[in-house]
Amino acid sequence: MATTTATVSISSSDLQPGNRLSINASSRLMKTGLTTGLELMEMGNASIQVGSPTEHSLAEALGTADSANWVYICNTSTDDTYNTEIVINETVLGYLNAGEWLWMPWNNGDTAAEIEVQAIGGTNTLEYAIFKSAWTLPTATA
Amino acid sequence: MATTTASINIGSDIMSYPININKTMTMKKLASCHGIEETSGLSNKKFSATTAVILVLNTEGTAGKASKVYMRNTGADKANFFYVSLNASAAAADTTETIGRLHGGDWMLIPWAATANASHNIVVAPNTAEPMTIEWMVFQE
Repeated sequence: MATTTATVSISSSDLQPGNRLSINASSRLMKTGLTTGLELMEMGNASIQVGSPTEHSLAEALGTADSANWVYICNTSTDDTYNTEIVINETVLGYLNAGEWLWMPWNNGDTAAEIEVQAIGGTNTLEYAIFKSAWTLPTATA
Repeated sequence: MATTTASINIGSDIMSYPININKTMTMKKLASCHGIEETSGLSNKKFSATTAVILVLNTEGTAGKASKVYMRNTGADKANFFYVSLNASAAAADTTETIGRLHGGDWMLIPWAATANASHNIVVAPNTAEPMTIEWMVFQE
């Protein structure tokens, strides 16, 4: 059984004057409702360009409905004017500025839950890792 | 200008070689080198029913900005979880708007486009009526 742990630390000394911010959390990634760890993952590095196609598919939802899956995406661009629009369920989730990352659960068994990305400002580079409960590869074309 | 940093560390032995992802970001305004300056503050709420509720209202933020939302299920039971969705009304299993589940101890940090539309509310719904607590914090321009 694999062991995967995700830890976060969020801190600021001046976002809330007089109240230093310090959040620390850690979680072990488990299969849905179970005590066994996730055992499948894919990771990669991608380059997305502005323009056609406007939105690029980063991850197709080919898993099992309502299963435990986790997504890490980082916009590794260095130009502050470059940012990546993150879309899920055809709805804009938000924007990752250069150097910013996200970590979120993903209900990847719903075909509409594809994760799409769009480059804004210039060609963005992304790194990503997806941890999955199940993973069905697409059928090969004849 | 405030400086707010968030660091993630992901360690795993899923592969035949160790996976270790470490990344630190400074939360900035959209397409800017300046840090975000506003926050909701850290909040928490205890649930004892499965009713879906709006945790973050779309009007709390400003459209087209680089807001962020942190959430964590503070429980320890992996069988109990919150559905988290980007939705106008409810979170439930298998709806297209469900982002995913936060089981006991799970956390997430996502960008959030606070478009002035109910479809950009962040909604949570517990899977059980057993007491369960979620904490969250919104970072925005």
